[in-house]
Formats: sequence, C-alpha cells, structure tokens
Amino acid sequence: MSVLTKSLHPDEKIKAGKLGSNMTKAGAGVALVFLIVSVVLGAMQGDHWKRFLYAYVVGWSFIASIAIGMLWLILLHFLVRGRWVTVVRRLAEAMTGAFPLIWIAGLVFVVPVVLGYKDLYYWASADAHNATLNPTLHHKLGWLSPSFWAIRYVVYGAIFIGLAGYFAKKSREQDETGDPAITDRLRVVSGPGMIIYGFTTCALAFDVLMSLSPKWYSTIYGVMFWGSGNVAAFSALALIVLWVQRNGRLVHSVTEEHYHDIGKWMFSFTFFWAYTAFSQFMLQWYGNMPDETVWYKYRLFGDWQWVSIAILVGYWAFPFVFLMSRWTKRIVPSLAFFAVWQLVFHWLDMYWNVMPNYDWQTRYGQPDLNLGPLTGEISLHHVGFSAVDITVWLGLCGVLLVGIGRHLKGNLLPIKDPTLGMSLGHEQL
Amino acid sequence: MTDTPSHHPGGHGPDDNNGNGTPTEGELYALLAEYDTPGELVTAARKVRDAGYANFDCFSPFPVHGIDPAMGIKRTILPLIIFGGGFTGAVSGIALQWWCNTHTWQWNISGKPLWPTTMPAGIPIAYELAILLAVFSSFFGMWIANKLPQVWHPLFRNERFGRVTDDGFFLAIEAGDRRFDSVQTRKLLTDAGAIAVDAVYQDPDPRKKELPRWILGFIVASSAFALIPLAIAAKARNSHSSEPHIYIFPDMNWQPKYKSDTAMDLFPDNRANRGDIPGTIARGWLEADDTFYRGLDNGAWTTGFPKAYPDGAPFAVDEALLKRGQNRFNIYCTPCHGYDGHGEGMVPTRVKAGGGLWQARNLAEAPQANGTGGVVEQMPNGQLFNTISNGYSTMQGYAAQIPQADRWAIVSYVRALERAQNASLDDVPEGQRSSLK
Repeated sequence: MSVLTKSLHPDEKIKAGKLGSNMTKAGAGVALVFLIVSVVLGAMQGDHWKRFLYAYVVGWSFIASIAIGMLWLILLHFLVRGRWVTVVRRLAEAMTGAFPLIWIAGLVFVVPVVLGYKDLYYWASADAHNATLNPTLHHKLGWLSPSFWAIRYVVYGAIFIGLAGYFAKKSREQDETGDPAITDRLRVVSGPGMIIYGFTTCALAFDVLMSLSPKWYSTIYGVMFWGSGNVAAFSALALIVLWVQRNGRLVHSVTEEHYHDIGKWMFSFTFFWAYTAFSQFMLQWYGNMPDETVWYKYRLFGDWQWVSIAILVGYWAFPFVFLMSRWTKRIVPSLAFFAVWQLVFHWLDMYWNVMPNYDWQTRYGQPDLNLGPLTGEISLHHVGFSAVDITVWLGLCGVLLVGIGRHLKGNLLPIKDPTLGMSLGHEQL
Repeated sequence: MTDTPSHHPGGHGPDDNNGNGTPTEGELYALLAEYDTPGELVTAARKVRDAGYANFDCFSPFPVHGIDPAMGIKRTILPLIIFGGGFTGAVSGIALQWWCNTHTWQWNISGKPLWPTTMPAGIPIAYELAILLAVFSSFFGMWIANKLPQVWHPLFRNERFGRVTDDGFFLAIEAGDRRFDSVQTRKLLTDAGAIAVDAVYQDPDPRKKELPRWILGFIVASSAFALIPLAIAAKARNSHSSEPHIYIFPDMNWQPKYKSDTAMDLFPDNRANRGDIPGTIARGWLEADDTFYRGLDNGAWTTGFPKAYPDGAPFAVDEALLKRGQNRFNIYCTPCHGYDGHGEGMVPTRVKAGGGLWQARNLAEAPQANGTGGVVEQMPNGQLFNTISNGYSTMQGYAAQIPQADRWAIVSYVRALERAQNASLDDVPEGQRSSLK
C-alpha cells in the first residue's frame, strides 16, 4: 500500500452523537433571542418595517451565500474527481442541508413583496410603472413583477434544495451499501449540476440583491456575489471543522493539510471576489455612464466611502497579504482568526451592497436619475447604521446553525467512499 | 554493451551491470536504486535520510506527495522570490504611471485631474506587471535554484534511468556523501526494497560535460540575428540618406487615380477636383423650401412653422413633435441653457464656480415692463431656427449635428418652455385649476 493512502485511525470518533442537537439548540436560542429583539427594534423604527426588511435581506444573503458556496465545493469535488475534500465533505453536506430552512427564512421578505409591500423593492411600487419617470425601468417590469419574482425564488430554492439533498442522500446511502457506483453516479450528475448551479446562483443574486437598484446594470454581479459568498463559505467550513475537532471528532482524520486547502480556497476567493468587484467598478468608472456610475456614487462619497475603504482594506488587502503565506493557512489558530475576520467582512460586503439602496429611496422618494444621483447632495448621504442591522444578522446566523445542526448526525465521515483513503493520506506538495 | 565488464555474468545480483547499459569506466558518481512505486520511493527516501545521508536525490515521472519531508529537504525559497517579483511589478507599475501622468506626459483630458484620481485606470497595468514579474521570478528562479540549464548528468549514462520520465522511480546516493560506503550503502538501498541497484560512473570524457557545440552555436547565431533589426534602427537614427524609401508594393503606393485637392494638368484650372457644373444641383440638395431649410417666409423670418416636410408629409405641431423637441433639447441645449431654459446649465455653473461671469441666454424669460428682456420670446420662429442652425455670439451652430426637422422640433419645445414658465391660471384647463390653488 502506498503512503499516499491512509486507513482510518482506529481510535477515531466519527459518530456525531450529540453534536448536532447541541448546535441546533444553540442556534435556536440565538435565533429566537436575536430575531425577537430585531422585531422589537424593527417596530421601533416606525418606518413600516423597511429597515428591518433591508437588514433581513443583508442577513439572508449572508447565510444563503454560505450554503451556496458549500454546494459548489461538493459539486466541484465530484466534477474534478477531488480527493482531499472527502474528509470534510460530510460537514459540507450538513451545511448545504440548511437550504430548506434558509429558504423558509427568506419568506419573511418574499411574502410581503408578493402581498404588495412597496418599500423594499422599488420595482414593486406604483411609481415604477410610470414610463415617463422610469423610461429605462419600464421594459424590465415583466421580469421584475412580484409574483413572477416570487415564483423564481421558489424555483431557485427547489434547485438548491434538490441538488444539495441528492448529493447528501446518495453519500449517506454509500455509507450503508459501500457501492462505488454511487460515486460514479454523482460524478455524472455534478457536470450538469454545476451548470444549473451557476445559472441559479447568478439569477438569485440578480433577483434578490441587484434588483434593489433596478435601473442599474452589471452582468458580473452574480459572479461577484458568488465569489464573496465562497469566502464566507470556506471560512465557515474551517470554523465548523475546528469546532467538530474540539469536540473530539475527526481529530486524526482532518489534518493541517486539509486546513491548508480550506485556507487556499479562502485566499483564492478573497482575491477572486476582489478581482470581479474591481472589474465591475473599473468598467463603470471608465465608461462613466450615469445609469451605471450612480451605484458607485452612492457608495464612494459621504459616509459610505469609509465603508468602501474598510471593505477594500479589511476584506481584500489585509487577508490577501497574510493568507498568501503557507503558514497562516497551516497554523490552525491563525486560519481560524482569518475565518472569523472574513465572515464579519462578508457581512459588511452584503451590507454595502444592500443598504445604500435604503437611503436612496428614503431621501429622494424614488430612484430617479434626474432627481437623485446627479443633483443630490452627497454630503447628506449617511450610512444610517441601526442596531437592527446587527441583530437580524445574528438571528439569521442562528437559523443557519439550526439548519446545519439538524444534519450533523450519524457518520461525520463518508466511511465507504472510495476516495476516503486518499483524502486521509492527503499531503501538500 | 557486450564489452562491458561484469562481475556476475547472467545474474541479477547487486553488482550486475550487464545488460542495463551502464558503463563502468570512470570515477564512481553514485549508486542508483530503482523502486516499484512512488510509495516505496518515499519509504526508501525516509530510510536513507534517517541513515544520515545528505547528498542524495529522488527522481520520479511526476511530483510525489510527501517526498520533501521524507527526504529531509527544507522548504524552497521560491515563494519568497516570486513574492518579491510580484511586489516589484506592482510597485513599478504604479510608479511608472505616476511618473508618466505627473511628469513626462501630462495629458490634460477635459481638465480631469492627473493623479491620483486616475488610479483605477492604473490598476490593470500594475496588476499585469505584478503577474509578469512574478511569473518571470518563478520561471527563472526555479532554473537558478535548480542550477539549470545543465545539459549533462552522469545518471543519463544508465539505460534504466531513461524510464524516469515514464514509470520509473529512482533514488541516487552520491559517492561524495561522507557516509558513502559502496557495500553498506548498497545494502541500505536493497533493504529499502529496491528492485535494482546500479553503480553509475562519471563520464571520463570531459567534453561530455560541456554544452554541445551546436547548441552554443545556435544561441550565438540567434542572438546575433536578433540584433540585426536593432542595428538597422540604430544606423537609421544616426545617419542621413537621400535614397528614396523602399516600396515593397509600389502599385499600392502609386495607384492610377487622382486624390481630392491635388493638381492635374488636364484641365485649364490645373485642379483634379471637378466642382459642380454651373446651373445644376445634386440630387436631394435642392432645398427649395425656404421656410423648412432657412426659416424664411418671403424673405423675412417666419413667425409660424413649415407647412410640410421635404417628403411631402404635412408638418403638424403636436405632442409627438414637442416630445421629440424635448428629447433633442435635453441632449444638445441643456449643457448651457439648462433643463428649464434659464441659461443655468452645467457649463455656466462651472464658469461661476471658477469665478467667471458668463451666462447663457435665458430662453424662457418674459419681456419686462421697461422694454428689456424677453429676447427669445420676441424672436420670430424663423430667427430662432436660424440661431440653432448657424449659432449666435459664443454659441456655435448646430446645423452639422441636428437635422432641420429636429431643429424645428426644438423651436416648438422652446416655445412650450416659454409658455409653461410664464403661464397664468387662465392657461390651465378649467377642471384642473382647483388642484393648483
């Protein structure tokens, strides 16, 4: 037997035991406390839940992007016949198991829009249908109609839940039967699955996030959302693996070699996100078209410029320089530090994407180019930070933990997977 | 290889050099062991390392996971070299653009700032340079760190070693190692599971270690050849010549035709251009309708609008015309006159911000009681049309940009602006007056 393959350590604990229920309980507690606080704070805003719903979209994008990122890892693992992922794949599958709960949680902002709530999405308002006021928006309203939008939300959810559920179910099935044909089957499915996944992720970003500024255009937006989400997804994976090991599971199976690879993905998506974000900015800055630059005008001046600079430095420059080194990824406490750091900044990134739209509509009543961005007083444009922004996020993180915890059960390793030995013996070159 | 001496003819023992193509003359270089799988190679490397050997190396067709720690090799410094290259590239890319933008090539584009507001445009270049220098550092750093190029190696004398690029896994311990002992070392390699151990000798011919003459010749010749264009350019920069240019395609340079505004002996005026023949007009250039094309009605400025378009369609002052006029006005006129026609567009606003006094004409101003103002309102439509066409004072003419029909649409919209901004309650339809009160 080659040293490239290892067998499972005889003392290894691979049963989840109470881990899952502990996580579920903790998550439920966090979710309950913070969401109740958020509802109270949201009601106190006195703006017909507008701030609450904007904050909810931020938090929901945060948890959804984590599950979406982990689904990508699973698809990629099978698509390229990966090996190292196998030891952490059950944890990634548990993270994608949160999809149903995430999509149920999303109904909090989807249902009001269907029922006629106008203040979250401008395209849902009556003004949007005024062709004179919104000549560039008018032709999009067929796509951006509340009912069709909600139907798409359900379709995206069905695709994500279906894909994630299929891969998790087949993986569990292999634990029982040990049939290597299951791996071959998943490899076949992963190809078309990846294509469907890509389109669904981009469309979701367009519908939920980009349509908050419905007159603005950016074709790379979905890719940027996905890149940013994967930074958070791999950070979350690193922390969950660490937590599982601290609880005595998988201590021999997951080594610094695997942490190193998780760290590599954190590093590459930190850069990939920055690359796409800069591409978007660069083209719109250079093109200097009012209906494109307006999006940046609201983010690069006034209070918001400090948030933009914080994201540039904190979400890209600092982690980029430090995660480049081999050692920051192999020394687990250092990797954990960057994982927490990037999770916080991923939230800030989502906040930066969503919240400027809130102020835009409040101040000018309507996102009209002639009234708002071109003549508006930029110095008056405030971030308008509110405590509900944080509490909703934390509450939804609790929801995510419940979703994950419910799937942390049985074997924490795919014990009959044909690539398990190679994953256990994985070493960096 | 039949003349190669052999200690154990026909056998396959540890000293068997027969049939494997390894000559045995010359100084002993190393003992070369072959292993069956990459895993066994890693195990053997670990044993050799633990036995205290330092001058040994492993050879495999592909990178083997875990071979570095098994051999006791310390981490390569290549990443640091690459980082240095990439960092240098990024910094020099920024510095290059800073230097060009602010010192050597200050390019004023519409008065935009030179630096550092232009940074976003500089990022791609800094990025590309960072990648370029990082890749160069990686490529050449690898060559230097591996002491490449090396055209010759004693191990190439072993025929078995040829399989190293296919399916052979080898480990060679050099004779120069301080622990090397031809018997003990061979035993160590065999015990580690070698399927064969060969002694490899240095080639006694010193010329073999040199770069082959033809490669050297090729490098010298191609380098010299690459200098030829540079030499020609250098000569051309430092010499004068009265010889004509070299024309590779003369029939392209000299085509049998006359270009516009050139001389031609055929005609009495010596011009190649043949102008319009007197008394004729080119198709579509008649422009007979004085009102539509020039704003005139019997020699005076018209106060109305043209009666028809050149294609015969009746000219109607309706909502479509006003909308078209508004659209064109907002594109061509608002930079100076502003959206409301008050003459406070972006250009006068900037002039004011810069301390200047110039102001565009207020198009919507009503005549004052003392007889001043209201210049545009009192202007006949034809004169307004003419001003749009040919300009007035500092205003340029827009005849080249705006077709006549659109100019008339703008005239109608300017009239609407005046009317709207000097309106009284009586102008509002009866039913809607209450909403304004």
